[in-house]
Order: sequence, then structure tokens, then C-alpha cells
Amino acid sequence: MEYRWKSLVFFALVWQGAFTLGKAQTADEGARDLITRIASSDKETRQRGLEAVGANREGRLLSFLEAFQLGQIYRFQDQVVWCPGLQTVDGKSMAPLSDPLTGVERQMDGARQVVAKSELEAVGPRRRERRLIMNLVRKLQLFASDDDVRLAAAVKMGSVRKTEVLADLELALKREADAKIQHVMQESRSLIQLGAPAAEVSDEIRLEAARNLGTLCSARGGALLKELLEKAAKAEPGTASVLSAIQLEVYQQSLDAIESYQLRVRWLGYVFSGLSLGSVLVLMALGLSVIFGQMGVINMAHGELMMVGAYTTYGMQWLSGHSLPDNPVNVYFIFAIPAAFFVAGCVGWLMEFLVVRHLYGRPLDTLLATWGIGLVLIQLARVIFGDNVGVNSPTWLVGNTEPMQDLNLPYNRLFILGLTTSCVLAVYWVMNYTRLGLLVRATVQNRETATSLGVNTRRTDGFTFALGAGLAGVAGCALTLIGGVTPDMGQNYIVDSFLVVVTGGVGELAGAVWAGLGLGVINKLLEPTFEAIWGKVLILAIVIIFIQWKPAGLFPPRGRLADV
Amino acid sequence: MTGQPKDDELEPAPAARSRGRTAARSSSVRRLVTWALLLAAAVCVPGLYWLDWISIETVRMMGRYLALAMVALSLDLLWGYTGMLCLCQSFFFSLGGYAMGMYLAHHGGPEGIIDKAGWKIPACLYVVYPYGVGELPEDALTPWFWKPFYFLSATVGLGMLIPGLVALVIGFFVFRSRVRGVFFAVLTQAITLAAWLVFCMNDMKLCGTNGLTRFDKIGGFPLNDDATQFTLYLITLACLVGVYLLSRMVVRSRLGRVLVAIRDNETRLRFAGYKPYAFKVFVFSLSAMIAGLAGMLYTPQMKIFTPTNMEVKESIEVVIWVAVGGRGTLGGPVAGALLVNLLKNKLTSQFALFGFLEGWLPDSVYAWLPVWKQEYWPFVLGGLFIVVVRALPGGLSSVWRRLISREEAERQ
Repeated sequence: MEYRWKSLVFFALVWQGAFTLGKAQTADEGARDLITRIASSDKETRQRGLEAVGANREGRLLSFLEAFQLGQIYRFQDQVVWCPGLQTVDGKSMAPLSDPLTGVERQMDGARQVVAKSELEAVGPRRRERRLIMNLVRKLQLFASDDDVRLAAAVKMGSVRKTEVLADLELALKREADAKIQHVMQESRSLIQLGAPAAEVSDEIRLEAARNLGTLCSARGGALLKELLEKAAKAEPGTASVLSAIQLEVYQQSLDAIESYQLRVRWLGYVFSGLSLGSVLVLMALGLSVIFGQMGVINMAHGELMMVGAYTTYGMQWLSGHSLPDNPVNVYFIFAIPAAFFVAGCVGWLMEFLVVRHLYGRPLDTLLATWGIGLVLIQLARVIFGDNVGVNSPTWLVGNTEPMQDLNLPYNRLFILGLTTSCVLAVYWVMNYTRLGLLVRATVQNRETATSLGVNTRRTDGFTFALGAGLAGVAGCALTLIGGVTPDMGQNYIVDSFLVVVTGGVGELAGAVWAGLGLGVINKLLEPTFEAIWGKVLILAIVIIFIQWKPAGLFPPRGRLADV
Repeated sequence: MTGQPKDDELEPAPAARSRGRTAARSSSVRRLVTWALLLAAAVCVPGLYWLDWISIETVRMMGRYLALAMVALSLDLLWGYTGMLCLCQSFFFSLGGYAMGMYLAHHGGPEGIIDKAGWKIPACLYVVYPYGVGELPEDALTPWFWKPFYFLSATVGLGMLIPGLVALVIGFFVFRSRVRGVFFAVLTQAITLAAWLVFCMNDMKLCGTNGLTRFDKIGGFPLNDDATQFTLYLITLACLVGVYLLSRMVVRSRLGRVLVAIRDNETRLRFAGYKPYAFKVFVFSLSAMIAGLAGMLYTPQMKIFTPTNMEVKESIEVVIWVAVGGRGTLGGPVAGALLVNLLKNKLTSQFALFGFLEGWLPDSVYAWLPVWKQEYWPFVLGGLFIVVVRALPGGLSSVWRRLISREEAERQ
């Protein structure tokens, strides 16, 4: 009974296998035929085979031709095979075989087919054919099945600018389905046409190309147009570089269109990187201002709590075994965020319990004590972990998205923006809509009254400190996405986040958010004009001038609680 | 919401707390001890050197520490007496240090590097000069701001004037907007950081991170000569005494009382009709000038001046000197600076913790005993911060004062 059931399944499998095999064979037949012809020993056949490949633009033969160029194609028992690399087994040179068209490993008796090299007959391009094949490979890249290869080929053609490839480009454009590659192909075609000498491409086509580049807003087109216009301005009358009046006008128009677009994109880019820097600052300043707002304490060890968060992330990565960049275990980061919050929060709570608690009402002393704690934490990390550990970003945060042409937004930056937003919302919720938040606010408003009403202010303080520390831990976790993990990584951001707190004012969430984003954006807008360091100095000057105008920050405490 | 740091309730300085009749009674003893210590510094180190018990290197080191003690004094005026925790001190110190460093660099290195205008190009600058595209080494010009520092008299004047003026400008803006307490600490910290970044730039033509080097002569005397170094020690000591006396004069005057009032309750002082603003700017400038002087004395004894002296952590180290010694006193910071630096000097080197047992124990056992390593120093420094602030806010001088007052009470 069981036997019969098994044999039924077996027959079904064989039937299906034979069917798919048959279909694939008919589709591949033409390509395989071409391969046989190119690998033949007859000169005429080879020549005609190569010509046929060129004429049909057989993109699937690209990998075969590349292997052919490298001399990796052999004939074995009247079949054409591909041997990507030789192995030495027992002192004998052995060749593992693959299919020349698909690159699939050839099987023999259930294992990979490996034969002695002496059994193979080498088939390589003749000296005279090499150039032809090289051109063919370059051309076929436009028709390859891999998107990246097609894109790279199209980009390269636009940079090299050879008029011979125009016809191929045209054809590839017609066959192309991917919008982005189409765009690049159009750009490259126009670039080639525009840069070509008058003898090869007519003036009308060149004008059309210039207009086209203007519509495409191509950055490379802008560079070429600029170059042509500059050449024309310097050229002696009568030479080839001179442009007619209409050409000058059209070129200039296109250039203006491109430049205005690129300028817009550049500014958008600055604003985005400013927001991204700002979100990091907000994330850091959030914890700082929660602690500061509650206790009037500047926590100098905040950067080190961040470092604790970053090392927790490293620990989570180590636990999950995600130590290789392409390891599929990518979810560790999701768990690393709460873990970083928890660990840093615990360290913060401990700090509050052991040191900060005893120093209330002495803000400057707390500042010094927390600095001492920070020093110890840095050195502890250095002794335990050494100078630098690597945290690999999860693969789903690598890469970027392009919402507008030439505007690249990295995923990790977008993730940090999202993380900051959710942290701000979470803190807002905790502070305004939970019982804990109510207790915290009561303690801040009037400690004595809160105590007499039965609020355990000591516990509330501990909670607030732990919350702020935990937020620092989350910031540290986020920073592993954009920078290295070192013991003194906290120092790089700490002064900036202090400035955020000073600018934003005390205790108001909105202050930290606006000041953080504002400082981040101003910083990035200043950077292209001034050097990074002068930008920093300028930011400091701006902050000092700003507090002349608003001494208690953007959102000063109001009413009778405000300091005189 | 009031997270506003209540600077008005700011730590009533520990020194002030116990000030009263006991303090008055013990002051004569204290004065005696202070002068005895000063005398020891003036007599002991030179005496031991005279007897060849300590090398000139040790004298040089002590000279440097005396200069650092001056910085501690300058911070004490701000923090201990006026209640402003300033993290700018290393910046002012470095301004003085750079001034003297530029003078020394002018007169050091090989002869004959002359620019087209006939000025000698300092050797350390010539090495790292940021040549532009197409600019040749022989096109290098001595930057204009280097030129005044060719002369010793101008250097000494500018080395104090520049920090003073910088502090005046910073103070003008910062105090005008009534920035106080932790806000002031954070802002000055940011200023130090920004200044450090700027001084590290090669484009500033201040030799970037390499710092000023190749010092040979000061006022015509060779810097490597023992006698010169010894004289520098004596000059530093004299300056320290001078600064000490000046500070004492300041804090004992009516001005000093206003400063303490600013520390204890600035708002009330303002309501009493004073303008704390002017006093604060004055003491800030004065302290910057003292720090600048210290930097000028430090550089020839260190024989190199790099931007690392300007880092934020250097500023915070000054704070621990003052805290260990005792803020709000004048002798305390000096003693604190010397003590902590001697400790640092010892603990940033590797040595066997139980070295005295060598030879007494079998070698196999001795090899097991722990060894002190350089990397443990930050633990000590961080621990010092925590312990001093938590357990000993008055610093060592409060312990000292307690001892004296107990003795006096017994005597009476």
C-alpha cells in the first residue's frame, strides 16, 4: 500500500520534471545552438555565430562570452562546458564543470561533475576575434538579464560617449521595462548625441538632445552643457566648438533648468541631513532634558550611558550570532532597542541611587560627580571591550531610497528619524497620560507639597533618572547605525546635546525637539559654505546670541515658578 | 515647571559654612602653615637640587605643577568665591601657552628660514605650513599674528592681555543674559571645545595638532641649560606667590565680599542695588589673565605646547584640583593641584604595587602580586570626583580646618 503511494508520487514528479525540462529546452535551444557555433573549431562557423549574437542581442549569452574571453570554456565529449576554476586533487588538475548558458553546476551520479583537465579540449577566442568579442560583451551588457548590469552599462556609455553604441542604446531603450534604467538610457543617449561632433550627428538631433537633458534634469548633462558653452565662449570663429545662436540659447535654457533642479535637490539634501543630525541630537537631548527638567541636574555621564546602549547593541548582536554582514539573523536590532533602554536605564538608576540622590540641591556638584562616573564608565568599556568593536547594521537598514531623482535618503537615517519621533511621542504620553507621569510632574512642580500628599518623591526621582538614562541608551543603539562603537563615542555628541538643552529651555519637551532639529538643520546648512569646524564655532556664536534674546531658552518656564 | 537650576540655593560653599569665630581663631595657625608650605616650596626644592638629591627634571616638573597650581587658583576665584563653574580655564591657559610658544618657536630651530619679507619663519610652522595649490615653500610668509610674538616683552603683555580680552567678550555676552550655574558650565565647555577644534586646524597656521615645538632659547638663554630651568622654577614660584597675594587681596576686599554674595544669592544682591554683571565680568577677566600667565610659565618648562592642553577634560581636571584642595580657600587649590598632579605623575606609570616586598618574598610569589597599570588612572580620577564631591565637599582644607579648630578648642 505504502509502496504504491510512493511510486505514484515518483511518477508525478518525473512527469512534471520532464515537462518543465522540455519547455526550458525549447526556449534555450537557440542560445545553445549559438554557443555550439561559437565554440566550434571552424573559423567560418564561429564568425557567423558571433555575428548572429551581435545581431540578435542575445543578452543571455553575456556570461558565456565573458567566460569565453577568460578561456574558461572547454569542449568535453562533444559538449560545450564551462569550468570556472581548476582544482588540484591528489596532484592531478581536476575541472568542476558547469553549464555554459545558465552557469548551473553539472551533476553526475548525484554529485558535482568533476573531470580530469586532460579530458577537456580548450576552446578560446583567436587573437583576431578578441576585439570583436570585447565589443560584443560591452554591447550585450545593455541586454543582460541582471538589472544592475544593464544600469551600470547604460551609465558607462553616457560617460564614455561613443557614437557607435547609439543604435544599440536605442534598441535597448525599446526593450527596457524598468523605469529607472530607461531614464538613465535616455540620459546617456542624449549625452552621446550632444557631445558628438557635427559630422556624425545633425544639429537638430543635438538640439533635441540638449532639450531632452533639460527635461531629464540630468546632473551629467549639466556638466556637459557647461563644458560646451565654456568651450564655445573661448573658441576662435570657424572652429568646431563654435555654437550657433539657437544652439547657445537652447543649451543655456537646458543648463538653467538643470541647475535650478539640482540646486533644489541639493538644498533638500541639506535639509534632510540636517533633520537627520537633528533627530540624533533630539534623541540625546530628550533624556538629558527629562533629567534636567526634573532635578536641575546636568548629567555629564549622559554620553556614557549612550555608550552603554551602543555596547548593549553589540552584545545583542553577539548573542544573536549576527557577526557577518550578510548573516540572515537580522531581527536582533529590534530586540536591541528595548535591551539598550533597559540596560542603560538600570545603570542610570544605579547612578541615581548611589551618587546623584545624595547631591540634590547642588547642581554643580552633581555635574562633577556624574563626570567622574562617565570617566569610570569609559575606562571600564575600554578595559573590557578594547578600543573598537564592530556593529553591523541589519541588512534591511542598508541602502537608500530615491524619492526624487538624485536625492538619496539612506534607510538608516530614515529609521533614526522614525525612532526619534516614536520616542518623543512615547515620552509625551508617559509624562501626560500615565500615573507615573502625573507623579513626576507633581514632584517637579512642588516637591514639598507632593511629598505631603503622599508621593514617594525619591522613587519618582529614581524613575525619572532611569527613564532619561534609558533614552540615552536608545540613542546609543541608534548611533551604531551611523558610526563606530568606541568607549568615548558619547563625547562626540554630548556638547551638542547640551547646547540643545540650553537653547530649548528646561523641562519642555517641545523645546528640546525644536532646538534639536533647528540646530541640526542650521549646522548642515552652514557646512557647505563654511568648513565643518567654523560651522560649529558659528553655531556656538548663534546659540550665545540667541540666549541674549531669550535667556531661558525657546520655551521658558512661566509664572511664579520662573526664575527671576 | 521649574527645572531651572536654583543657583540661588547653590551649594553654600563649605568654607563659608564653618566660617565664624572658630575660623577667626584658627586663622593665625592657618596663615603660619600656609607660609610654611610656601617656604618649603621655595627652600626645599632648590635646596634638594642644590644638594644634588633631585635632578633638574624633577625641578622642571615641580615648576610645571606650580604653574598648574596658578590655574587652580584662577578657577578658585571663579568657582570657589563667585560660584561660577567655568570650564574655559584650559582655553585661557592655552592662549597664554600659545603666546609663549610662538615666542619660543620664533627663536628656535635652524637658522636661515627667512621669508621674502625678511622675517624668520618659525621652524615648526615651516614644517606643517599649509601650502596652497601652486604655492611653493619659498613663498611661505610668516603670518601677521606671529610677528608681535617675536619680542619677549610683547609676548608677556599679550599672553595676559589676549585671554583677558577674550574673557571680557565672552563674559560680556554670557553674563549679560544672566547665564548661570550649570548653563554657564555647559556654555564654557562648548566654547572650550570649539576653541580646541579651531586650534587643531592646520589652516589656523598654529601648527595644527603637532603643536608648537623646536624651542631653543628664552630671552637669549638656552632652554636646555639647567640654570635656565632652575631660574624658570624660581620665576614660576615668585609668580605663584604674587598671584596668591593678589587673590588674597581681591577676596579680602569689599569686591571679594560682593563676589561671595554673588555666589550665595545673586538675586538678593541685585535687589540690594548691586550690578553683579560688572563684578562677574571683572573676575572672569582677571582669572583668565592669571590662567594665561600660568600658560606662559608652563610652556618653556614643558618645551612643547600642543592643543591637547586645551581639551575639555583638561578644564575639568582643574576643577578636581580645586575640589580636592578645597574650594573657597586660597591655599587649598594650590595644595590640591600639586597633590593631584604628583599622584597623576605616579599613577600614570606602571609599577609593582608591592615593590617594597621584592627580595623579601620568593620570586615565584612576588611575580603573582598585582602591578599598577597606566590604564587604571581614569578610575582613580573618576573615583576622586565622586568621593570628593560626595563625601568631602570642602576638600582637604576642610579636614585641615577641622583638625586645627579642635586643637584650638582643646587649648582654650
